[in-house]
Amino acid sequence: MTTTVPAPPAADTSIGAPAATPAAATPHGGRRRRVLLRLLALVVLYALWEIAARATRNPTFIPSPGAVWHQLIQTSTTHDGIRGYSGRLLIEHLGVSLRRILIGSVIGVAGGVLLGVVMGTVSWIRVVVEPVVTFIRALPPLAYFSLFIIWFGIDETPKLWLLSIAALPPVAVATAAAVHSAPTGLVEAAQALGASRARVIRDVVLPNALPEIFTGIRIAVGVAYSSVVAAETINGVPGIGGMIRDAQRYSQTDVVVLGLFAIGLSGLLIDALLRTAESRLIPWRGQL
Amino acid sequence: MRKILSLVAAATLLLPTACGDGAASGGGDPDRKSIRIAYQAFPSGDLIVKNQGLLEKALPDYQITWTKFDSGASINTAFVAGSVDIAAIGSSPVARGLSAPLNIPYQVAFVLDVAGDNEALVARKGSGVTDVSGLRGKKVATPFASTAHYSLLAALDRAGVKESDVTIVDLEPQDIQAAWTRGDLDAAYSWLPSLDELRKTGTVLVTSRELATAGKPTLDLGVVATDFVTAHPAAVDAWRKAQSQALNLIHNDPAAAAKSVGVELNLSPEEAQRQLSQGVFLKPADLASPAWLGTSAAKGQLADNLVSAAQFLKTQQKIDAVPDLATVQAAIYAEGLPDVLG
Repeated sequence: MTTTVPAPPAADTSIGAPAATPAAATPHGGRRRRVLLRLLALVVLYALWEIAARATRNPTFIPSPGAVWHQLIQTSTTHDGIRGYSGRLLIEHLGVSLRRILIGSVIGVAGGVLLGVVMGTVSWIRVVVEPVVTFIRALPPLAYFSLFIIWFGIDETPKLWLLSIAALPPVAVATAAAVHSAPTGLVEAAQALGASRARVIRDVVLPNALPEIFTGIRIAVGVAYSSVVAAETINGVPGIGGMIRDAQRYSQTDVVVLGLFAIGLSGLLIDALLRTAESRLIPWRGQL
Repeated sequence: MRKILSLVAAATLLLPTACGDGAASGGGDPDRKSIRIAYQAFPSGDLIVKNQGLLEKALPDYQITWTKFDSGASINTAFVAGSVDIAAIGSSPVARGLSAPLNIPYQVAFVLDVAGDNEALVARKGSGVTDVSGLRGKKVATPFASTAHYSLLAALDRAGVKESDVTIVDLEPQDIQAAWTRGDLDAAYSWLPSLDELRKTGTVLVTSRELATAGKPTLDLGVVATDFVTAHPAAVDAWRKAQSQALNLIHNDPAAAAKSVGVELNLSPEEAQRQLSQGVFLKPADLASPAWLGTSAAKGQLADNLVSAAQFLKTQQKIDAVPDLATVQAAIYAEGLPDVLG
């Protein structure tokens, strides 16, 4: 998702915000087929997994679905006086990570939108800041995380910093692009009617940029999600990434697989929520 | 589209088979003259063997590859995958490897070193902690799944401090150093070289040397894959001989030993010598004594030590079951000791 913004021709009055992922509208008959196809794919995947686990007969290599299920029960209950994994239930590990992702994303998105608007409206700032944003975007979070440890310690602060910084660039870039390509006709019309710069941004530019910004947000949340394991490499328990890392060190592959499922499934859920929010907030998306 | 789908399906079907092949290729073929060695960057005779090419000299017709690993956990994984034949690994990961569910078929064939003053529990000045029992309610860091983690819990146990009374944080040595400098930690159980920095601004509460005398030693071991032992017993003998040459060098010519170790660890010879002097290195003849490997007729106490490490892991919920003493004794390779080291 590299977003380079071509300068729109001055005469172009159409709304220049192409939807990145238009939700494909499917006819009603196709819906059942789609659900069936997905179910079938799941069954096939499950069968392949089971076969692979049995063929290798090595739970450290490929733990069987049964073993992963067993771990799900073990890590979600208190048994023999031991509570979950490392003293926390699976859902608590996931909850702690989701909280980090939420706070990190909110800070990153807020910062990204702000930066994006400034970049999109003030051209010299854009010239200065754009390479920096692209630079940060290219950095793997693990590479700069050790710096955060030195600066911010080992508790929550460095983790939130890491997630915010990982989430910021996609939103900033998407917002800047959308703001920059705001329809000149509308902007000029608003100015002609006497709107101040701030009002033009608030009432014309931002609503127009909303679909693009939302795409940026979805990418940002995805990036924050995939960075949470990196953020939890240091003092990450409780936390789903810390749990995976700990299990990995003790070769508990079944717990690792369980953790991956937990991350993947909750990621799907959150993306679905964001998509619902998107279609509620921007009903006109994909219809222009 | 259909074509792509069938291609993907074919690839998914092939994938597990490919993994299976990878797992099956061990060092069990007597005709394949190669040794894959996993080593770690801690000061020991193993680095001298590597640096001076002792094994390459002893086995000129073998192709020997050395791979650096960061932890015993990753070495265990490599053994499971059948990708290494011989490794230098801590006693805690070995105990894990010999227990269910891993049950790695490898044999303990050498004691590289015993942790001495090179691993220690240090309290930060300003934390107000002067002894182990003073750690209640404090924050202590150690790299989880390491020998230091085992030693920390052993030290707490010895002082009658419950694990739940202390906040134990999982940090790698370099991160311990960073958090320590910021004042985030009250104490840490770590090893050289980060331990040096901690000692500058802290008080040593207990060292692994003291724990070893109290019956909780942590060691670095040399392990060999069982099928490699069966297929290449002569090569294993040559490897043990090379390791005891290195031990002798550490005892008889510390300066020369330190030079080799220093090159491998990017340390000055003086620094390497100082670090070597803090570890405990056995004399080759001691290996066959009842305290360590023993002989093939009477396996030594190392087996008991590994069982007790496994019991510790069981209480930590990190393994499914503790292996019985006989199983662990069977995993100690003392064939031909002590004469073979000659």
